[in-house]
Amino acid sequence: MIEIDDLTVQFGGVRGLSELTARLPEPVTGLVGPNGAGKTTLINVLSGFVRPTTGRVGIDGQDLSDIAIHKRAAFGIRRTFQNEQVVENLTAADNIHAILDNVPTDGQPRAALIAQALEFVGLAAKGNVLGRDLNAYQRRMLEIARAMVGRPRLIMMDEPGAGLAQHESEHLRDVIRQLHGHCGAQVLLVDHDVDLISATCTATLVLDFGSAIAYGATASVLAEPKVRAAYLGVLEDAT
Amino acid sequence: MTDQSLEGAPPIRAARLPLRGIALGVAALIALYVIPDALSNYWLRTFISAAALTIASLSVSVLFAQVGMVSLAQFGLLGVGGWFALRISHGLGVPFEIALLCAGVSAALVGLIVGLPALRMRGLYLAIITLMMAGAIQVLISAFGFPDGGPGILGKSTGARLMMARPLIAQSDEAYLRYAIVVTAVCYLLVLAHVRGRPGRAWAMIRRSEVCALAGGVDIVAYKVWAFALAGFLAGVAGAVLAGGVGQLDGSAFPASQSIMLFALTIVGGAYSWFGPIIAGLMLRAFPALLNDFRVDGNIATMVFGIGLLHALITAPHGIAGQLSDLTGRLRRALSGERKAGP
Repeated sequence: MIEIDDLTVQFGGVRGLSELTARLPEPVTGLVGPNGAGKTTLINVLSGFVRPTTGRVGIDGQDLSDIAIHKRAAFGIRRTFQNEQVVENLTAADNIHAILDNVPTDGQPRAALIAQALEFVGLAAKGNVLGRDLNAYQRRMLEIARAMVGRPRLIMMDEPGAGLAQHESEHLRDVIRQLHGHCGAQVLLVDHDVDLISATCTATLVLDFGSAIAYGATASVLAEPKVRAAYLGVLEDAT
Repeated sequence: MTDQSLEGAPPIRAARLPLRGIALGVAALIALYVIPDALSNYWLRTFISAAALTIASLSVSVLFAQVGMVSLAQFGLLGVGGWFALRISHGLGVPFEIALLCAGVSAALVGLIVGLPALRMRGLYLAIITLMMAGAIQVLISAFGFPDGGPGILGKSTGARLMMARPLIAQSDEAYLRYAIVVTAVCYLLVLAHVRGRPGRAWAMIRRSEVCALAGGVDIVAYKVWAFALAGFLAGVAGAVLAGGVGQLDGSAFPASQSIMLFALTIVGGAYSWFGPIIAGLMLRAFPALLNDFRVDGNIATMVFGIGLLHALITAPHGIAGQLSDLTGRLRRALSGERKAGP
């Protein structure tokens, strides 16, 4: 469970997050909101890149402020990035191996864990391919594979669906839906694609101007008038 | 999971490995037996220096190609390694191998100090601060000179200058060149063990981006420090090999400008390839000697290097080694294309 208590993040004069309090217990939770609502800021606070001005965040009762940034991966906090961060001069297998170096493996052979993760995201035949030779879709799947090895507790995905073709997007949905059952991690999904959110997330948190404006079952939250006004309204303006 | 997993089968390596092994074996035999046998004394000493500079260039390429850090202090660290090798060898009379290791370790420690700013700085700022370190080393070396068999901490002799003792098994120039080539090979294996292992993967993550490394749980500080220590060790070993080859070192031979030259030629040679440092070592020492052989002023080499650097920056970011491997790749493709078209 993700616990967010009275979380405020101030960037100079701008408030990224404003006194946000939430409990997110669902296995797959969506995080939506218009641009600048604080979605990525929340993810960055959880991964440790941004220090909260006030308030705290915790996972399963453990306060995260005690855990140094580079120790959070071993603790179980993983993420994928809006701009993918696949290492181009390592093979797909070594990309995962580089994470396994720093996280608990429970005594299982690394080669097996790597093969399992690659198989799960559909890159079983790409183990020996260098990162630079993978296409955008394969890179996203490899990032998910990196995030799911070694006892993860929380996997955060920052717009994993951006720029994917229809059949790729469907495969991504399958993978996200099976992720919790496969590795036991809670999934927090940020995306603008409402179809992707509705298809995968049991619950959804809506942010606007750094505060939660709605939380609950995905279908009912997305139907709420204030959510439509804040989120879908902006979307219509943008397109 | 999908049909996409079938595209692009993993490259078949088994068929290529023995070929590569044979090629390496032949190259080793040529390097160890044919070349030292065929050379004059002048060229033997030139190639000994080239071997030392290859190790030095390897230390630059570890930092640049693996971690993405620019250090302009590596030639200074060569001087540090040479100083300690001479001091320990003259002062304690220990075997060459021990002096070599001590030189590596002491240069690694100094390299650590050089690397400390790297924890806070990146890119141009790191380059500038390491260049200042190289300047500081230059000042110290030219003020105190190199030990040559005298007493005291500085080991300066007032009378005849002693030569550094060479390894027992490699007293002649010819044997010492073989020895230097073996030391270079061992240094390559040391780097390879790092790159293939956990440090190499962590460095690759750091080079991708620090955000990526942190999210992957990489202790950036520890791995950057480790990279600088390894590079310092290599530079120190190079200094000791150089000191053993010449017998003594000159206080004016380690200016900061040489560190820039070493970095530039590592780029020209190709920092991303294992072959690049060898090209850099040969260019730094063998090329000027070749010009001298043709009775052309060796300093013209500097102009050629400048042109080479421009060429590398504009058209060949992976250096000469990258161009060579492009060429062999193209040849191989052309050959296999012909074979496919044939029957």
